[in-house]
Amino acid sequence: MAEISFPLPDLGEGLLEATVLEWLVAVGDQVERNQPFVEVETTKSSVELPSPIAGIVLTLHGEPGDVVLVDTPLITFAVADDSAGIVGTVPQEAAPKRRVRLSAVLDED
Amino acid sequence: MLTSWRRHEPTVDAGLAPVLLVHGFASSTALNWEATGWVRDLSNAGRRVLTVDLLGHGESAAPLETDAYAPSRLRQAVLEVLALAGARPREAGDPASGVDLVGYSLGSRMVWELAAERPDLVNRAVLGGMSAEDPLADFDLDAADRFLADSSAIVHESTAALMTLMQLAPGANTPALLRLVAAIKQERFEPGASVPSRPLLFVTGDRDALATGTAELAALADSEVLWLPARTHMNAVSSRAFKQAAIEFLARH
Repeated sequence: MAEISFPLPDLGEGLLEATVLEWLVAVGDQVERNQPFVEVETTKSSVELPSPIAGIVLTLHGEPGDVVLVDTPLITFAVADDSAGIVGTVPQEAAPKRRVRLSAVLDED
Repeated sequence: MLTSWRRHEPTVDAGLAPVLLVHGFASSTALNWEATGWVRDLSNAGRRVLTVDLLGHGESAAPLETDAYAPSRLRQAVLEVLALAGARPREAGDPASGVDLVGYSLGSRMVWELAAERPDLVNRAVLGGMSAEDPLADFDLDAADRFLADSSAIVHESTAALMTLMQLAPGANTPALLRLVAAIKQERFEPGASVPSRPLLFVTGDRDALATGTAELAALADSEVLWLPARTHMNAVSSRAFKQAAIEFLARH
């Protein structure tokens, strides 16, 4: 298994941070690609973020009410080793409806 | 047609009436219902979803005449969308007949009035973040014009708050929104004038400072209120509890 962390994406319009409203998944959950995993609020609106990848949730970075900065880790998944190699293509396939786009950051290990 | 609308097919058709979603002031179908997961969750629940962008919002036109934004004309446009989408009057024993409505904020005012005007068409309605007092009707348009001309500070509190909302809202067309405000001042919301007789569910964040009077409206319509803990006017709409309650309420027939 490989670990893949996804940072809070740039939600557009120059916003630097978002507040976690509610996690829609729990540690240990199997999440499918495009499944919404968290609800976050910016100064402009609240949105659900879809998962860019299928995997098992390892870590949720923050509690409801916590502020997360853009480009800092939001969620970490465990994925099968053979799927880690296609990470570079995932953002295109995620086909977000808005300008919400998650991109993968591979952990150091 | 000046009003942009769309039909979203259900994942597996539950055979129930379509659900029409009406967004709030300075919002849009994309912001109010798509980014928040409403269209997806309703589709997954087997519901056919109709979305509409009110005039001056989202992908709809933004005419220059104030009269075009009169709430009665916005409701007429919604009814035209329903007709085009094939919605038909309620018939006993046919769960696919009629239409269910969900509104948020200004959209809830539209839904209240539509449900009151068309009990022959509306099955049930969910009214989110709804105010009895119509914060837009007290908006200080002169102060807003001065602010836009030379950044003069807006003294009137709710005007300042709404102006901030307009300026923050992604893609908002501020001149069109001000025409809508002017039109709303001409046709204020009068909840007591016509009270819906159809089953209603009110949903409001318990920290929503804009939706004053939700409890009074619910009492007037003899309906229940679901209060969302720790939610504000801006962040209640994406709440999972809100969506689940609406889907469950609209599935009763």
